Amino acid sequence: MQKVISALTFAVTGLLASAGTQAFAADTVKIGVPIELSGRFVAFGGHCKQGVEMASAAFGGKVIGKKIELLFRDVQSDTQSTVSAVTQLINSENVNYLIGPLASPIAAAAIPPWRQGRPLWMMAGASIDLFEKQVGDDPLYFHTFPYAYHYYETLSAGLKHYLGAEKRVAVIYTDDEYGRTHLPLVEKFFEAAGFNIVAEEIVRANTPDMNPVLTKINLSKPDILLGVVQTTDAIKLAKSVYIRHLNIPYLVSTFAIQLKEWQDAVAEAQDGWIGLSAYLQGEVKWPADPNYPKLFPSSEEWEKIFREKYGHEPGYYVPICYATTAMLLLAIEKAGVDDKEKVAEALRKLDVRTPYGHGKFIATPSGTKQQAFADLLVFQRQNGKSVVVWPLETATGAIKLR
Amino acid sequence: MAYLEQCLIDGVLLGGIYVLLAFGLTLSFGVTRVVNFAHGEFIMVGAYAAFWALALLKLDPLVSLPLAMLAATVVGMLLFRLVESRILNAPDENQILLTFGLALILQNVALILWSGDERSTNPPYAFSSLMYGELVVPGARLIGCLVALILVGLVFLWLRYAELGRATRALAENREAAVLMGINVPQMYALAFGLSVALAMAAGAILSFVSAVTPFMGFEILGKIFAIVILGGLGSVLGSVIGALLLGLTETFVAYYIPEGNGWTEAVAFAVLFLVLIVRPSGIAGREITT
Repeated sequence: MQKVISALTFAVTGLLASAGTQAFAADTVKIGVPIELSGRFVAFGGHCKQGVEMASAAFGGKVIGKKIELLFRDVQSDTQSTVSAVTQLINSENVNYLIGPLASPIAAAAIPPWRQGRPLWMMAGASIDLFEKQVGDDPLYFHTFPYAYHYYETLSAGLKHYLGAEKRVAVIYTDDEYGRTHLPLVEKFFEAAGFNIVAEEIVRANTPDMNPVLTKINLSKPDILLGVVQTTDAIKLAKSVYIRHLNIPYLVSTFAIQLKEWQDAVAEAQDGWIGLSAYLQGEVKWPADPNYPKLFPSSEEWEKIFREKYGHEPGYYVPICYATTAMLLLAIEKAGVDDKEKVAEALRKLDVRTPYGHGKFIATPSGTKQQAFADLLVFQRQNGKSVVVWPLETATGAIKLR
Repeated sequence: MAYLEQCLIDGVLLGGIYVLLAFGLTLSFGVTRVVNFAHGEFIMVGAYAAFWALALLKLDPLVSLPLAMLAATVVGMLLFRLVESRILNAPDENQILLTFGLALILQNVALILWSGDERSTNPPYAFSSLMYGELVVPGARLIGCLVALILVGLVFLWLRYAELGRATRALAENREAAVLMGINVPQMYALAFGLSVALAMAAGAILSFVSAVTPFMGFEILGKIFAIVILGGLGSVLGSVIGALLLGLTETFVAYYIPEGNGWTEAVAFAVLFLVLIVRPSGIAGREITT
């Protein structure tokens, strides 16, 4: 008799708990956020988490009358963990929306599990064109980060404006996925702009010594040195160039130059380096959106709010993930229902001014149906500051010779 | 341009850095016969120690280096007594797992404490160079080589003339005889390990201004370090010095003279290792393998 009562009690408790869970689930809008919260790309994921949480808080924590449930999953900067995390979010949590991962190789691992359920995917990272080829034409894929070809399209245009074409360019690139996938894009856009690529030298990623490759580069007497390398190698490259007093007039790289960690690590060697950014804190002043000033304040106001909340300056991925999440939440609100197809439709119609730039999804010529925030800034480090030099409408100065 | 001369300069300087990286591991293995997979992470800890000593205490890396080495010797000895001594007679797999596990712990603790952001110390000499016409001798690397030379010299002198050094050599050559001679084996093992950790910390301090400091730097260089140690002959201190210089010169030569050679440096390390081991299985200066 005791056993029967215990079994009945257990069963009733289980039923009530299940009903409670389902009731809770019906009262929430779930957003899966599989991002790099540990491992090599922890900086990306950590920043993104702050941006996502800040956007949810700015929206009041609720959308269409339901609580916003952010399901963070640490993909550990590992492809296998990414597959597990995304599979769990789609199959167990049944999320309709996904934000992340961020780093290209990690995000690429998410494609196969994503295809199982195809939630609406806000990709706030991943620059390789693999995504355009594999998922770009999917109506539920929204890319809110520039592709690699945007980098070199912008760089070559900005450099051509100031330096003229027919300048001699020497390229140093790493032998990893980053360098090898970016090199053809460098060749395509720089040659189209009229530059003359006189040397291409490969370096091992995390090479212990940049001197041999710099000696070879110097022989070709370039006007521009373009380093297609990531942050660790960008530090070694900048220091080595400085130490060797190389007489190359213009030094160019991509995203590493904007990072405070790069600037601190190379100290005085940073002067003159030209880089790219989609967001330069304090340098570009985006206005508030007239229709949603609380959700999308001006970039100055937004930075102030961030500093008050977190006690430090926002990292690079914070505004990207903030704008991405805020646009998603706004689209859910406009759709009026937790339905990924309807939300996708609402997203396509959005046209907002965010602290990160102009939030409007348009098709790219090379296959992504919904691409936002592809506009990039070219800047140069001058006397310890980032001076925007391109595009001209946002420029705060001009490129200077080293 | 004086291409060959610059190649030789860069090769010797790189070799000097490699000596610094591998020397400690050779000493440790030569005495304790424990393959320490955490050696790379001790280098990483040394780099962070130099970085924070400069950032917080305004201590130049070369000034904080001896202090860090002293502390590392003590910590290394304690670590050995508490942890490593338990696997001295254990199967090799246990040694590998334990030291590998220690490496993972150190890496992840560094990641939690200091994030994955790249850092670098920038004392004035980090950006200096000596110019002789077209030839360039980077100051930071030259200092790294000089530190390597001094430390190797001091260890050689210690092994040859100091009582504890001679005891360490005796232990490395014949453990049973050393016991019979009254040498305190556990203490000597701990001392050798402690010194190895101290040398790793010194290497890290130099790397802090030569390269970039990240929690992942240890594993990235570990493969190269093992190649040098095996190339020189497991346990041979002289061999690791020769191996490091040989590797530094070979890699640099390939980088200079082979098209896309700089992308082949890892392969060069293991190709050289392969060739040397075919001709001399015990390594350059290792003991002959007898059957």
